[in-house]
Amino acid sequence: MRRLELLDAATAELLGFDWLVNAVAPISPYGSRLFSELVPFRPGNERAAESRARQIAEIAERLPSDQVSAVRSLLEQLPDVVGAVARASLGEPLDDPGFFELRLFCEMVERVDASPAAGALGQRISSEATRTVLEALAPGRREAAGFYLSDAFDAELAAARGAYAQAQAEVDAARGREVERVARELGREEVAGDEFIVMRSDLRGTLPQGVRVVRESATYLLCALEYGESSQAALQRREAAFGRMGALEERVRLHLTSVARAHAAGLGAAARALGELDVSLGAARFSQVHHCTAPVVIREPALTFERARFLPLEAELTVAGRRYVPIDLDLRGAAVLTGPNMGGKSLALQTCGFLALCAAFGLPVPAAQARVGLFDQIAWLGTGLRERSGGLLSSFAREVTALKDILARMAPRLLIFVDEFARTTTPHEGKAIVVALTERLRQRKACALLATHLQGVAAAAGVAHFAVRGLKGIRTLPAARDLKGALDALADSMDYTIAKVGGDEAPQADAIALAALLGLDSEFVEAAYRALSQ
Amino acid sequence: MRVGLRLLELARERRARAIFVVGTGKNVGKTTALLAMYEAAWRSGFRVGLASIGPKTGLRLHSNTVFVTARPLLAPSPAVEILKISDIESSAGSLLYARTAHDGLYDLAGPSSASGLRAAIEHVANRSDIVLIDGAIDRLATLASGDGAIVVSCGAAAAKTESEAVCDVATLTARLRVPLFDSRAAAVELEGALTATMAAEFIAAGEERQIVVGDSTQIVMSGRSLSEALARLRVRCRRALDVIATTVCAVAPERSFDPGPFLDAVAGATKLPSFDVFAGREAA
Repeated sequence: MRRLELLDAATAELLGFDWLVNAVAPISPYGSRLFSELVPFRPGNERAAESRARQIAEIAERLPSDQVSAVRSLLEQLPDVVGAVARASLGEPLDDPGFFELRLFCEMVERVDASPAAGALGQRISSEATRTVLEALAPGRREAAGFYLSDAFDAELAAARGAYAQAQAEVDAARGREVERVARELGREEVAGDEFIVMRSDLRGTLPQGVRVVRESATYLLCALEYGESSQAALQRREAAFGRMGALEERVRLHLTSVARAHAAGLGAAARALGELDVSLGAARFSQVHHCTAPVVIREPALTFERARFLPLEAELTVAGRRYVPIDLDLRGAAVLTGPNMGGKSLALQTCGFLALCAAFGLPVPAAQARVGLFDQIAWLGTGLRERSGGLLSSFAREVTALKDILARMAPRLLIFVDEFARTTTPHEGKAIVVALTERLRQRKACALLATHLQGVAAAAGVAHFAVRGLKGIRTLPAARDLKGALDALADSMDYTIAKVGGDEAPQADAIALAALLGLDSEFVEAAYRALSQ
Repeated sequence: MRVGLRLLELARERRARAIFVVGTGKNVGKTTALLAMYEAAWRSGFRVGLASIGPKTGLRLHSNTVFVTARPLLAPSPAVEILKISDIESSAGSLLYARTAHDGLYDLAGPSSASGLRAAIEHVANRSDIVLIDGAIDRLATLASGDGAIVVSCGAAAAKTESEAVCDVATLTARLRVPLFDSRAAAVELEGALTATMAAEFIAAGEERQIVVGDSTQIVMSGRSLSEALARLRVRCRRALDVIATTVCAVAPERSFDPGPFLDAVAGATKLPSFDVFAGREAA
């Protein structure tokens, strides 16, 4: 999946783009090739995006997960024959490993077709091309999956191989007689290897005929055994037989290559169909594992969903044995989101972005139901982006520069998440800047969610105001004083529900209660409450 | 004498299904020893598998031999039976498993990683009665958990003098033959390697407990350091290696040793059955 200009690398990281890519990735080389070319649906293609998501959701619903896994395990075993088929189509003879892979490919196509999953989808990938190639390569079958250029491919091959084996036997016999004679004359059981050592102390008389001295010293001779006349004659016959056998083997390869060449288009079509099946099953598996639903893809710049989840965090929490609380939201145009620290504001932004990403790639979304628009750009501004330390710009200046870039791009359909923008400047000016930004986004008809602790932004900018409900019981100290106990108590006490509130409604001040939950001493906490009330 | 057959018998006595041939250096007769065992195994009717840690070209193999090679090294003729194309890479290209159908010249290749070598040996072993591996010392850990035997080759090509060659092979075999640890006795269990620095510290501290490493390839010392460490510490391992023999090659292009005394010196220093494949001799 290529994000192209839909989102930059930093936003992609925050919204779990790589996580999503891994979660839906196909398993075969054909699927991977197709997958690498997938680009997001742009605004105007809502019908196509929705149709693809529906198709995937239907596959996920119709096929039991074990059937999906079974086909994927077949797809995983597929060899990549695209290069071999291309070379064959250009007239280059294939080698035996190439035939091995081609036959395996055609067999796997048949097995995929025979699988219950393919049957349920009504999909047939095999064709006359795959069947013809499989039939042509069938005589090469050995063992379960082996391939050998067997005699059955060519009537003359058996005779040529027989002649070669006979010639080799003659070489072995002639050479064996020579070696045996030398060993006997040297009084040894065996002479092994091309070169051998003869100890002068063992040598009675001269060296046997045909033995050449390679090197000599006072105590030994390093010798080699020359080929005698009969060995040389046998070797010549063997070379001639080898040449005939090699030529016939090459003739078989040329014939088999011509079969592949004649069906290159059909083999290519089968490869593409396998790729499409693989990509669909990868997405269907994602949908099954994460209980996704097909979104309604709408023309408006809006995100409306129920019980939505940000899957990368849900996966982390599941591993840690913690509970994930899904959220509901109805975001149309620009809106402000307020709420306590650790109330899930940033996560709400990420959830929106993750759903928008899924919809952009025609995938089912992790929500009970969703209506999602398509966008030209998805951007993130504020906290969460990887901070660069040092440099000439302050963190505020970097945020402003990033905002300038986003606004300058003038994406016709912008989805932007703003997380505590301008928090590092004075609250008074910071609020003014956030109000101005919110107004600008409203005017541009961007879909925007701005998380902030600043009060009165929504009313000042004339946009909707959402708030996380926050801690249910304030000023109750946790029993456990360690971090894990505090987090458990926080999860029990926090109401993560996002509700639409009046524009001027003040955000609930839970920061001091949270500080108490996290273990600050009671004297400190009381002092904070006293200061708040003054 | 038939050295290949004798080496094979030694391995079979230990019920070894894989024989790793390693050397003290290059050109010390590893491949000659391997081919001597190959011929003996083939003549004895075994289904033989061959693997190598690196490219090994132009080996004359008989039919029905399973071997590992790289796809680019596979000659078109004689055609072989392709058994599997693996996803393991080697310096010569992606590896495949093949079985010869005819006698001929073939090239071997091997994986560059220990895990790849382990996978390759397993695959070949599934189709063979015995696997012969042209190996290297740093890949011996592959055998540490299995039913493998080791033949150590040494020769004139890897040392300037005969005494140096004898010392090298004696030290190497001593290292490879570090005994198994005694679970009832006190031990210092090392997670990683035992280095010369660590050994010196243990000796200085008067350590009397067993110093236990995973296998002897994790003892990263040589020469005098190694012999001192083995003499003064109770170095042990969790997985023992089985060294069954040494072979010698007394000749090299640059120098040569007197074959008989060299063979006897190696046998005496290593206390192992020792053979000269080139002279067709076993040490007295």
